[in-house]
Amino acid sequence: MSPEQTPSTLQLVRDARSWLLRGRLPVATAVALLMVTLVANLLIAENFLTAFNIRSIFANVIPLAAVAVGQTVIVLGRGIDLSIGTIATLSSVVTVSLVEPLGLLPAMLVGLGSGAACGLVNGLLVAVVRLQPIVATFATSFVWSGLALYVLPPGTAAAPRMPDVVVQGYRNSILGVPNAAWLLLLIALSWLVLKRTALLRHVYAVGGDEQASYATGVRVVRVQIMTYVVGGTYAAFASFAMLANSGSADALAGGNLTLVSIAALVIGGTRLSGGAGGAGGTIIGVMVLQLLTSLLVALRPPTDIRQLIDGLLVIFALALAGLWSSRRGGR
Amino acid sequence: MAFLAMRGVDKRFGGVIALRDASLHAERGEVHGLLGANGSGKSTLNKILTGVVAPDRVDITIDGRPAAISGPHDAHGHGVAAVYQELSLIPDLSVTANLVLASEDARLGFLRRRADRERAAEVLGRFAAAFPGGNLPLDVPIGNLSPGEQQVVEIAKAVARRPNILVLDEATASLYSAQVEVVFEVVRELKAAGTLVIFTSHRLGEIFELCDRATVLRNGELAGEVTLADTSESELVELMVGSLARPAGRGHQVATQERAARLEVSGLATDRLRDIDLSVRAGEVVGLGGLAGQGQSELLNALFGSTRVRQGTMEVDGRPELPRHPKRAVTAGLALVPGDRTREGLLPVRPILENLTVPSLRRRSRFGVLSHEREREAARSAAEQLQIKYGSLDDGVMTLSGGNQQKVVVGKWLLTEPSVVLLDDPTKGIDVRAKQELYELITALTTDGVAVLLNSSDDDELLGLSHRILVFFEGRIVAELTGDGLTAERLVAAALQVASA
Repeated sequence: MSPEQTPSTLQLVRDARSWLLRGRLPVATAVALLMVTLVANLLIAENFLTAFNIRSIFANVIPLAAVAVGQTVIVLGRGIDLSIGTIATLSSVVTVSLVEPLGLLPAMLVGLGSGAACGLVNGLLVAVVRLQPIVATFATSFVWSGLALYVLPPGTAAAPRMPDVVVQGYRNSILGVPNAAWLLLLIALSWLVLKRTALLRHVYAVGGDEQASYATGVRVVRVQIMTYVVGGTYAAFASFAMLANSGSADALAGGNLTLVSIAALVIGGTRLSGGAGGAGGTIIGVMVLQLLTSLLVALRPPTDIRQLIDGLLVIFALALAGLWSSRRGGR
Repeated sequence: MAFLAMRGVDKRFGGVIALRDASLHAERGEVHGLLGANGSGKSTLNKILTGVVAPDRVDITIDGRPAAISGPHDAHGHGVAAVYQELSLIPDLSVTANLVLASEDARLGFLRRRADRERAAEVLGRFAAAFPGGNLPLDVPIGNLSPGEQQVVEIAKAVARRPNILVLDEATASLYSAQVEVVFEVVRELKAAGTLVIFTSHRLGEIFELCDRATVLRNGELAGEVTLADTSESELVELMVGSLARPAGRGHQVATQERAARLEVSGLATDRLRDIDLSVRAGEVVGLGGLAGQGQSELLNALFGSTRVRQGTMEVDGRPELPRHPKRAVTAGLALVPGDRTREGLLPVRPILENLTVPSLRRRSRFGVLSHEREREAARSAAEQLQIKYGSLDDGVMTLSGGNQQKVVVGKWLLTEPSVVLLDDPTKGIDVRAKQELYELITALTTDGVAVLLNSSDDDELLGLSHRILVFFEGRIVAELTGDGLTAERLVAAALQVASA
């Protein structure tokens, strides 16, 4: 506590905090970063332009892209979901465990349902019980990963696997374009469709000004719940890509998707306090982060410093966004 | 029976009575003014109709049918739309998106953007003259428009709902006269089409220009219903003020005239204030009067360094001082008691002791280390002087009553021994007894030679405490009341810019 904390310095502290959250990078920054990381990869990474490498970059980026688009919808409505990576984990173990007894498609439907259900629980906790989103979803992240461990304990002898068709299909190409790249396009298209809905319009409105939206007649609670349900559904899609990529599920994978999804959307120009931005930028942000990873792999660091880099990137991107906005005197 | 009838409206906020058996009757195809001085209850009555404030008792009938309104959603359902000075727009959304928000044209959940845009163009088209060149900024994010244009969109948004009853509560306050004319034209069209418009404005000229009849409130009660064509400005002011005997202002102006000025301000301007000149002498209480929200609070914040000052100079005890930051203001000898004490004046989760001593810690610490005994001693003597009723200094400050909380806010500044005290509506929402004790405290301050600037939304309080009153209107000081001029009539007349009452 500062020794002379006056009424208005309290206000200043509040302003400074919201200043960081209100900042927004223009999408052009993300495009520029994409160019820089692309060129750096071309110069430094030896096998960058091989078909195998490009296929595997896209294969690895899909889970992250799906989760990040889901996270974007939640953040646009002034929420945040720290459990979104563990929703993907839970959904993947649920799906893979049911492939044998139920068949592939029914298993995927149940997996999708589990993702949406997790989102619904998060949404109810935030919008109806009115818990702080950060605290509520941090807590549920332990519930989801606990459930995942229960469904599929690590080290299970005969761990269930995905059918080979799925695994091979994921690595194949159509018209010379990797199937995973087609999926990325599909994710982008899904966003464009979503953006035309009245729901998304209301998400932007609630994120922009919750009070004004309520006074105008927007059903704020329902909109907030729906953002988490949509987010959970995207996380379930991410889980399918994870399964197709590795062939089996890991009850410990997925957790670190959460922080990276937040980094991606901030780089992509979505405002952390909601109401502005979009998943187009987020997808570019995801590509930037994936290319950075590939660069790191090419540099062969002594240990896995991916997490360290991700953490620093989030802080860097937030600070940059805040500085950018305050220099322009923007909201 | 009237189209809209509100009868027997009662509302208390804590110990304060806002409305007592108030009523309002208005017809279709009428522009009905709602008038009253500060604290008359007109805003509360408006907000009860629009569902923003829940009344203790009310009997509303619309078109002969009883209407239960318990939230903005219900009000919409009964065809009531409202526009306030505070906007309900989403800055990042386009003008179109704002105009159709929550009533979008959608098929299977998908927006039909062309239909929405056409609807927005239709309703905003009625206000086309309010925009440069008559071009409707339909696709522009609303945050890029000027405040006046945003206000016009806000009005258009209410009109788009095709209300039977349109409430305009200071909705013209941020408009230029040309924009006001455009809005008035639309209001007249609505009236001709049978809409009831309830209109509140601090500009009396607008009331006379637009309204047919008006309901006047005084101290939360119905003072009268008038037909404006047959009523003069001074008759209206008399209705608002009433003929009750009022305590006259203080007479001891002469005594303070010889004392030195402790605060001198000249040519001060902020985003909302212009050409503010004033001086306050030692031991003097200068009131900031006028209708609520005309810049009084903004001035106190500007002097305290928490609102940006564009130009002007300020001297405290002869030293030039224009604080850029509240901390500097405290060092210079200023103290601000804010109106919203729980948000700005108190550390709600900390004990009484800390709340009292926080601003003055530096005076009592040595090399940054606090002496708990001295801290406690200072807090105890302050609490005693202020007659704060507390169990223990270590109790949470929120365990105190509202009045005693406010005394803590005042008390913590007394411990800094200020030369100028800025009071921003200090008695809002506290009971009569605590008020009286605060008044005694203000008197005690002046006896010690402190200069006091007092903003109050309670005109009686302002008249009772001030040696002089500066009357604000739209960010400027438009009148100064002194000596025999310190009467309720003069104050209300000056606040409404009526020549004389």
